Amino acid sequence: MPIRLRVPSIDVPLALASIALVTIGLLVVYSATSVPGAHQGLWTRQLMWAGIALVAAWVAATIPLRVYDSLAYPIYGISLLMLVAVLVVGTSAMGAKRWLDIGPIRFQPSEIAKLATVLMLARRFDKQKLDLRRVRHWLPALLLTLVPFALVAKEPDLGTAVSFPVILVTMYFWAGLPVGQLLLGLSPVFNALLFFVTGTLWWFAGLLAILLGVARPRIVSLVVVLVLNGAVAFALPHVWHHMHDYQRRRIETFLNPGNDPYGAGYQIIQSQIAIGSGGVTGKGYLKGSQKALAFLPMRHTDFIYSVVGEELGLLGALTVVILYAVVIVRGFRLAVVTRNGFASLLTVGLVSAFFYHIMVNMLMTIGWAPVTGLPLPLLSYGGTALLVNGIQLGLLQNVALRRQEG
Amino acid sequence: MLSSNQTRLLRESRFTLLAACVAIGFGLVVIGLLRLQVVQHDQYVELAKENRVRLEVLRAPRGAIYDRHGELLADSAPSFNVVFRPFPSESVASVRLTMSPRYIAHLSALAEMDSAEVRRRVALANQSGQTAMLRHNAPPPIVAGVEEWRSELPGLEVQIEPLRHYPNGTLASHLLGYAGEINDVEMDSLQQDGYRPGDLIGRTGVERRYEDILRGRDGAEFVVVNAMGKRVSSLNEGPPLPPVAGHSLTLTIDLKVQRALEEAMKGVERGGAVAIDPRDGGVLGMVSRPAYDPNEFSEGLTWARWRELSSGGANPLLDRALQGMYPPGSTFKIVTMLAALRYGAATPRTTFAPCTGRYFFGDRSFACWKPSGHGVLNLIEALQNSCDVYFYQLGPRVGLDHLMETARALGLGDRTSVDLPQERRGLIPDAAWYDRRWGAGHWRKGMMLNLAIGQGEILVTPLQLALMTAEVAVNGRALCPHVVEAIVNEPQFKVARPASSGITADAAVWDALHTGMERVIDTGTGSAAHIPGLRVAGKTGTAQNPHGKPHALFVCYAPVDNPQIAIAVVVENVGHGGTFAAPPAGAVLRKLFLPDSLQNAKSIPGVRETTEVRDAD
Repeated sequence: MPIRLRVPSIDVPLALASIALVTIGLLVVYSATSVPGAHQGLWTRQLMWAGIALVAAWVAATIPLRVYDSLAYPIYGISLLMLVAVLVVGTSAMGAKRWLDIGPIRFQPSEIAKLATVLMLARRFDKQKLDLRRVRHWLPALLLTLVPFALVAKEPDLGTAVSFPVILVTMYFWAGLPVGQLLLGLSPVFNALLFFVTGTLWWFAGLLAILLGVARPRIVSLVVVLVLNGAVAFALPHVWHHMHDYQRRRIETFLNPGNDPYGAGYQIIQSQIAIGSGGVTGKGYLKGSQKALAFLPMRHTDFIYSVVGEELGLLGALTVVILYAVVIVRGFRLAVVTRNGFASLLTVGLVSAFFYHIMVNMLMTIGWAPVTGLPLPLLSYGGTALLVNGIQLGLLQNVALRRQEG
Repeated sequence: MLSSNQTRLLRESRFTLLAACVAIGFGLVVIGLLRLQVVQHDQYVELAKENRVRLEVLRAPRGAIYDRHGELLADSAPSFNVVFRPFPSESVASVRLTMSPRYIAHLSALAEMDSAEVRRRVALANQSGQTAMLRHNAPPPIVAGVEEWRSELPGLEVQIEPLRHYPNGTLASHLLGYAGEINDVEMDSLQQDGYRPGDLIGRTGVERRYEDILRGRDGAEFVVVNAMGKRVSSLNEGPPLPPVAGHSLTLTIDLKVQRALEEAMKGVERGGAVAIDPRDGGVLGMVSRPAYDPNEFSEGLTWARWRELSSGGANPLLDRALQGMYPPGSTFKIVTMLAALRYGAATPRTTFAPCTGRYFFGDRSFACWKPSGHGVLNLIEALQNSCDVYFYQLGPRVGLDHLMETARALGLGDRTSVDLPQERRGLIPDAAWYDRRWGAGHWRKGMMLNLAIGQGEILVTPLQLALMTAEVAVNGRALCPHVVEAIVNEPQFKVARPASSGITADAAVWDALHTGMERVIDTGTGSAAHIPGLRVAGKTGTAQNPHGKPHALFVCYAPVDNPQIAIAVVVENVGHGGTFAAPPAGAVLRKLFLPDSLQNAKSIPGVRETTEVRDAD
């Protein structure tokens, strides 16, 4: 049987699914902005941006991967500067400073910082011979990720900020950190979160015991983990107890903006009504007469999935889920098959951030996640977000094209 | 180094785990979709159709403000707004009804508004889905009329909203500040903190500084209403969130002192007065003239009235006690004397060349306020009589650095860090400042002479003067002036501690100051503040300024052997301190320390008559 050498080409299912999603996005943005009032006609701008994103994807796919590799740190540095700039001279809207205006263009530097952080981490983890149990191997990466995290959280944009640790953890994992170690390392975070959710430390103590029993860490790690958790367990209730009422309120609002009753809570109810009333087959395209949605100021951005659910029903909503699943699973497959270590890590970082955004947005529209203001990638109206998504997908195709290069 | 096959195998196992995570995530979304779109579909169709879900805001009352004895200074009272709630545009018939001329005419008649304006607001509300405000803080007859017709006019409603109320009107208006409805610019930056259009926000004074504590957190409840706007049921998906009331504040202000200060300052056109408790730095009273009524802001100001208040000639919104900067005049001689004694430039007995009414320095002549001259005086006598010529001679001996170091140590020339917003620094110039102003080595000759009597570039606020006096009263112990004593039900709250350690000097130094200042009141320039049976110490000041007549200043504390109050009074552009600033302070002391039976007595048997007021500096 003759060996057929397959010429590497772009990943066709990935490309088709992405294009389908952007197309659905355009159609739904058209529908969502067809109600008389503000935002009418925005879909033409979105169409223009889709064209620009396509070009950007093509460019991103053409440049050799080693160029990204060698430019990773400069890009990372520039993105940090932009994040600082946004805090100083940024444009604020809805109570947060997230945008930078350069001439007529307005963009969110946090989008670029995400891409830059993925590049930086891919370069770090690829160059080092992976022994993440050594402090000097994992600590710098952690610190370098916490910088953009802190800057974005300061805007404040907790939703986007959390994507940085999500990227970091996934890439640690892909670079070879055992799951047990990873969970132990994250245990102080779980500790704090569980404390805020349950108000006691017993839940966490139980979980930690199980985790330690399963992971059986070395004695040094064990001591470090216990000391860190002990410190958190001691400090948190203490700090919490000594805070003023209004300080606690601030923290609660920061962690869960949806708690703010007559902003976000209202939007969630309206979103649920829209999706629920859509039923299995939906009310039909352009027939989303549930005008509760007209009361939603962000139906073409953050709550676009509610319009899908209302007009196209369960079938449409599931189609979108399947298309996203194709993009993500094909993405992770690329990370498996590519021969280049940098490319593999890059892919995992990009896809995990993508997945995080989809989850946070979709779970928000059905009422199971806080309102964080994250748009739905590829579907929501928003020029720079679409452009950055295009670059990300272009990078994935880049990896596909060069998967046989070492 | 792993072989590529091993790498591949490792990656496959990690991929499996990632894929599992992805499956779980999307699985959750699918379950959520099934729940909403299949299981609860009928219920949501119902909600989407005729009935509407509406959010009822449960407004949290703002915390009250009390004086130190629990007397009310500010609270919230319910007010009534007439609003129009729009219908979902799905209810075509209802929307058409609300735009009909009959409906609009009826609405505008009830709300006593122009019908074109009503039509515009209703149309906007129908389009945007946002509730339209027709009458803010509507008077009772209108509210009664609306309530009567409500059921026939769908969409028309009365909203109850807490309105800020200041029971004492203009009393302490600058200190309390006022709270106004949040504006668009503030909304943009404060939305993250949970502010909503229509919320009150503290603009000045205590209302602004303690905004975080005073404001509560609004609650909310989702209710299902029928086509007539009547409540049908509450919604299970969103359990009601109860409002959390704001915390109340207890101030250090003593209503009795504040009333006395207000009374005493009543005739003052422009000026400020501050009373501080020298034992802990608590502000007992604070007045700025002219005053305004903060209730006007709660009830809604017309544009013209706002212009009048904010940029009128006398600028009533300016808190002169904190933001007015004045040359201290002769009240600054307290600082000069303290500096001279601390740094050994003079003793209480030191004498200089006799005062002949003027003093020649280089080719210039400097006048004393008393043209006939004081003759030979020692330091204590010089303070008592406020002899300028003595202080002209003392100034250069003290030197710029020591003088200004002492002034700063007493809290002049910098924010006192009182817990009120927008405090001004004033100015205590030092060598570096003069170098910048005139170039190194080009200082004006005779500058030290003017500074020693509190003229020249020095600027202070009435609050700083009161703080300085209070610190002198307690022999230089540092004080941190503050207006909030406690937050009700927040035992964690602590009053700020002074940052500095105060100013140190020998007991003899303080004794000399107290003696000199007491003599100012008993037989010197400040006799208008003399109270029979009460030991008062003070100092007058008359500050020349380019805006007209001199500013009148006066500082004092009492009783000398156990200081309980320190007062500073500044009256703009009227004349001598002894004539115009000392009498209000005297009136306050009289009110506070004399029994009621003697308040109005023209003279007190067996006690020296003190109505004679000399036109003295």
